[in-house]
Amino acid sequence: MRLFFKKFFSVRCVLSYLLVLSLWYAGMCCYYKIKYWGFSLSPKEVTDIWTIDAKVSFKAIGGDVEAVLGIPTNNDSFEILSEEIVANGYEINQDKENNVIVFKGANKNGKQNLYYRLNIYDDYKKEAKGALAPKKVARPILDDEEKIQMKKIWELTELQKGDRVQKVIKTINQEMANPTMSLVLPLNYTPKEFAEKIVHILSYKRIPARLVRAIKLEEGKKTDKPDIMLEAYFDNKWTLYDLNTASVGLPENWVVFQRGGVALLDVHGGENSKVMFSVLKSVATPLKMAEFRAKDSALLVPYKYSVYSLPILEQNTLKWLMIFPLAILMVVIMRNVIGVSTMGTFTPMLVAMSLVKTGFVPGLVCFSIMIFLGLLMRTLVARLNLLLVPRISFVVIFVIMLIQILTVIGYRLDYEIISSAIFFPIIITAWIIERASITWEEEGAKNTLKEIFNTMITAMMTYVVISSEYVRHVMFAFNEFNLVIMFIVMLLGTYTGYRLTELMRFAPLVKNKD
Amino acid sequence: MLNWFKIAKKLKAQGVLGMNERNYNVISKQNKRSLYTLVDDKVKTKKLANSININTPKMIGIIEHQYEVKNLLDIVKGHKTFVIKPAHGSGGKGVLVIKEYNENEFINASGEVLSFDDVYQHISNTLSGLFSLGGKYDVALIEETVNFSKVFKDFSYHGVPDVRVIVYKGYPAMVMMRLATKESGGRANLHQGAVGVGLDVKTGKTLNAVMHNKQVTHHPDTGANLMDLKVPFWREHLLIGAMAYDMTGLGYLGADIVLDKERGPMMLEVNARPGLAIQIANGVGLRDRLKEIDSYPQNLSAEQRIDWVLNYEK
Repeated sequence: MRLFFKKFFSVRCVLSYLLVLSLWYAGMCCYYKIKYWGFSLSPKEVTDIWTIDAKVSFKAIGGDVEAVLGIPTNNDSFEILSEEIVANGYEINQDKENNVIVFKGANKNGKQNLYYRLNIYDDYKKEAKGALAPKKVARPILDDEEKIQMKKIWELTELQKGDRVQKVIKTINQEMANPTMSLVLPLNYTPKEFAEKIVHILSYKRIPARLVRAIKLEEGKKTDKPDIMLEAYFDNKWTLYDLNTASVGLPENWVVFQRGGVALLDVHGGENSKVMFSVLKSVATPLKMAEFRAKDSALLVPYKYSVYSLPILEQNTLKWLMIFPLAILMVVIMRNVIGVSTMGTFTPMLVAMSLVKTGFVPGLVCFSIMIFLGLLMRTLVARLNLLLVPRISFVVIFVIMLIQILTVIGYRLDYEIISSAIFFPIIITAWIIERASITWEEEGAKNTLKEIFNTMITAMMTYVVISSEYVRHVMFAFNEFNLVIMFIVMLLGTYTGYRLTELMRFAPLVKNKD
Repeated sequence: MLNWFKIAKKLKAQGVLGMNERNYNVISKQNKRSLYTLVDDKVKTKKLANSININTPKMIGIIEHQYEVKNLLDIVKGHKTFVIKPAHGSGGKGVLVIKEYNENEFINASGEVLSFDDVYQHISNTLSGLFSLGGKYDVALIEETVNFSKVFKDFSYHGVPDVRVIVYKGYPAMVMMRLATKESGGRANLHQGAVGVGLDVKTGKTLNAVMHNKQVTHHPDTGANLMDLKVPFWREHLLIGAMAYDMTGLGYLGADIVLDKERGPMMLEVNARPGLAIQIANGVGLRDRLKEIDSYPQNLSAEQRIDWVLNYEK
């Protein structure tokens, strides 16, 4: 029993539990962030933000004016980011219940322009909700001729496929050439008339239906006519139909402006009224959108105390910082599992971080130039018999000057390779030079080159991992993984197996016994 | 990849100790951190050793401050040869052996001529912490050179042949002798090309010899047959190792011992993190030895422990 406990609560076991726990925690956080904040695993993913400008213009005839504009609701497939209304000299009332804006003005004369700007973004798809069951539909009163016609239409619908509404839409669309149909619709019918006719036909079977005015979102679009769709209520829910294809549901990138109204814009006290829509598209990263989504989901507190609510400058610094644990993990693996000995524990990591900023090849070339020149200078100075600290200080200053010169030369010659010198950590570079120089004297060129090589290999391996945009994004957006890495590193601290290089080192011992 | 697993499995079966296992299972369990200071500072170690009658090379003086460096010649006055060591050095780093000198010139172990400035520079480097762990300020220890016993004359090219005893819980667990070669530049570091000779703990005779991880039978420079090697005063060698445990309390240590012509075996230094190359020199893994020692009696004196080891039959 005691042995059992001992085994169960050994350092390694406890760390393993903590690792599993942290993995679970990170997983939950990921789920939360993806679901409620809209974070994505990929850095490239962006959210489209659509800006819809509705310009209402009419000519006031002198006197009181009232303009009523239908506006989108929040519960469609789009989420509203912000709204702006510009109407000088008008009293503005936003009627949330009926989804309209009411502009009221007194003693208006001449041309009037009212602006409504809406920023929306494509949110996760939601079911249209909040639509109440409609009142019973009264059967239209028809004369005999109309009745015959109506019956005929309903008979014809039986030849079509789909639900009842789809059948009606398809029939009317197809049978337009039919002489009986010409009576149904005027020769040059508008989409609105078409839709109204279908509502009328549906009402014969007591199916509630209404017009829907929607706008298809297209970059740079300008139109004064919203598209008209039809919504019918059966099976206890409202369903949207396309009037041309009879397909069900709101197509992608459509936003509903108004449902069931007589007109999108209703102006009293004015004439020649119209609404001009213009659409613009922009993109935002999920991280930027998170705040809006958090507000929306009424979960603002966790968001406020997360790094994503910080100013962008601080965020960038932290983003940089959050890649460190992964780089550290690489160093731990290289040293304790692979068994590569490097100059200084975290030197390769810092070099790798610099390489991320400079780019791989330019950084490597530039770093080699710096080390080479530094070693050359250090060898010359060796003869001066300076004390250690002043000597290293000399190397540091030399490296700083070297960076200045290289950056200027690189800039003038437009050689990115040379000017990337500025990103290398000065002190680290100086220490590498000093150590290399001492190792050179003490243990010869071969060992020095081997050490430099090991350091650079470790740096490169670390670079490969942390240079990925994807990895950096994940480590920042899902920073709980830092906790996971912490426990992995700690668990590696209990690793007692052979290092990879030891397998080679001790290989003679295997052959001995064979 | 599969091959690697095979090697790892075989090594494990043979009880070869890896670096991670040594650090985690042996050093961190046997060696208390606070005891490290006893062996990290050679001046301290020397005083401690002398207090319990362990032979060490005699100290000539210490240079602690930069301004004292110029007094070097006064300090070593009356000594024909001397050694400068960083008190906190490790792995033989920064050790300078002066075989001959006058006011201007110094000749080191491998026969190179150094100017006073070179030596001055070396000492000030030492004081600045260049050779010490973590680059801390250091002290230069100046001590007498060892009068090497002629016994090993044919077995070493210049330099100091020394015996490294791995002592576990006060019992000598594994021993090797390190012989300098031309390639190692007169140093006894295996990774620089010195020859490692694994010695039988009971007898002090050669078991196996390696150079650069490969088995050898003869010294590459002197041609001496390494299989003929037998260390005299063997019991005394082991005893120094066992006493190093009493002196430091380190459950796992490496004692470096040299044989002086007149004064017998002398302890050069104690290492709290002795390397694992000794396994290659011996051609055996260390883990089983340590396991065996775990079953040895505790609370014996150093003398009794050596007797136990010398008479132990499996």
